[in-house]
Amino acid sequence: MLARKVKDKLFIAGITILTFLTILPLFHIIFSVAVEGLPVLLKGGWDFITGTLAPPDDGLGGIGPAIVGTFVLTFLASILGLPIAILTGIYAAEYPNSLLGKATKTLLMIMMEFPTILVGLFVMQILVVPMGSYSALAGALALAIVMMPYVAVYTEEALRGIPKKYREGAFALGLTRFNVVFRVLIGLARKGILTGVLIGIAKVAGETAPLLFTAGGATRTYFEGINRPVGAIPLLIYDLVQQPYKNYHEIAWGASLLLLLIFLAIFLPIRLSLKEVRL
Amino acid sequence: MVRMDKFKAFLAPFCGLVFGLFILMLIVYFASSLPIFEREGLAIYTTNVWKASENPKNEFYGVLAAIYGSVYTSVLAVLIALPLSISFAVFVIDYAPKRLKEPLMVATDIMAGLPTIIYGIWGAFVLVPILKKYVMMPLYEHFSFIPLFSFKPSTGYSYLSAGVLLGIMVTPFASAIIREAYRSIPYIYREGVYALGATRYEATKILLGYIKPAIVAGILLAFGRAIGETVAVSLVVGNVFNIHPSLFAPGYTISSLIANQFGNAYIYGYMVPALFAAGLSLFIIGLAVNLAGLMYLRRFKHAR
Repeated sequence: MLARKVKDKLFIAGITILTFLTILPLFHIIFSVAVEGLPVLLKGGWDFITGTLAPPDDGLGGIGPAIVGTFVLTFLASILGLPIAILTGIYAAEYPNSLLGKATKTLLMIMMEFPTILVGLFVMQILVVPMGSYSALAGALALAIVMMPYVAVYTEEALRGIPKKYREGAFALGLTRFNVVFRVLIGLARKGILTGVLIGIAKVAGETAPLLFTAGGATRTYFEGINRPVGAIPLLIYDLVQQPYKNYHEIAWGASLLLLLIFLAIFLPIRLSLKEVRL
Repeated sequence: MVRMDKFKAFLAPFCGLVFGLFILMLIVYFASSLPIFEREGLAIYTTNVWKASENPKNEFYGVLAAIYGSVYTSVLAVLIALPLSISFAVFVIDYAPKRLKEPLMVATDIMAGLPTIIYGIWGAFVLVPILKKYVMMPLYEHFSFIPLFSFKPSTGYSYLSAGVLLGIMVTPFASAIIREAYRSIPYIYREGVYALGATRYEATKILLGYIKPAIVAGILLAFGRAIGETVAVSLVVGNVFNIHPSLFAPGYTISSLIANQFGNAYIYGYMVPALFAAGLSLFIIGLAVNLAGLMYLRRFKHAR
């Protein structure tokens, strides 16, 4: 009897410790990024947000082109990806038992787990090589492919969560299926769909791998057109960390803090307004 | 008469577009890696050589080291994620004080969504030095006769660093799947187990047996995530063509190989096809693992 009780206590102590070990890295990461990044932001001031990259071993300069690039890429990716994603999600929700509907649902789940570097490589081959240059368009296309499954799956789940009587009521009014979905159901599911859109945006704003061979990564020029290379904050951090210069490491930490803040600003409100998110 | 559903006809092309994109991707990977298969056959996957040369005659590529490194680091990640994610799920659902439940779940959800480059910079500048000083050096000094610990950790960039970082990154993801399954166990089962006089330890053991397929699914999907992760890994794994049993040895992974070499691959004759072949192997491993994971998850959901 005693052995059982001891085992029980040890078990509770064990899983408590492991639980705190699970989330410990998060606090360590936030702490490290804040401690290393905040002095950089304070020292760099407004110029850090608007300026262009400093030369090696010479001050901080700024990460303006990367910030502009991240917004441009996210915006373009949304234009390319959202309509297709939402319509695909509607199909999967409206025809869940058709062959195409089932297959679509499975494909979306697979695409969610798909290694993002492979998407970048694919877009390089079909867009960058024929165009002869890295471009904002290529980066945005890669991000759109990464974003689509999240938005589609959220749309599908939001629509399927609507009680049947609304759909029946709408049909009873004599509306066509098109009007039932777009006039009635979309409105009821708008919160779920919006959540999917925001999760998708938060996801791609922080993506690095799909941009490696598509966006090109401009650090000293701002947005020059969708057929020209463009920078992005995650891409800039990745490049700077691999440089041997101390000031570049400082800039990378500053950029990380900024990226972390952007991510939390989008993600936290969504998460706190919901019980559960899918990432 | 069967009337054609206009709405369906309007939406179907968009689904088709997504499918087309995915199939096009598969075709591009096969077609782009074809030259290397014609030249080397399966040697691209079974040898560890990386001979880049201006003269295409002298080029030879074998990506075995990268495949080995990908599997090695992802297995390490899963070994770390397994105990952590199960403990977290059980603690949060059954034993955490009410006030702590929500904050704990929010914390892991933030971890699951956090941009991977932030894990990367933290891994390269913070985690690697810590691991080197407190884990690798002591183990190497005292236990270097064991093959696992036999490599002298000079820089700290190694399979272990990549495995630990990946483990941290995929734990919240695995835990979210296991957590949902554990929560879904009917309350009556819990009552029944306790009514038999089980301790909390025994009850948890029995209840975990009930969600075994979901645990397997969580682990498989976590493995799929780990093997596809790129930037965080490439900043800590060392990026050296190396097949070594030791945890402390630097290596390569498929994704970090692509990230590092693809930028200048176009100046060589066969490097691009070689990297596409590496990508194809990742494509297929990822697809197989994730499909298996999704199947387990579906089986669990239908069994309920």
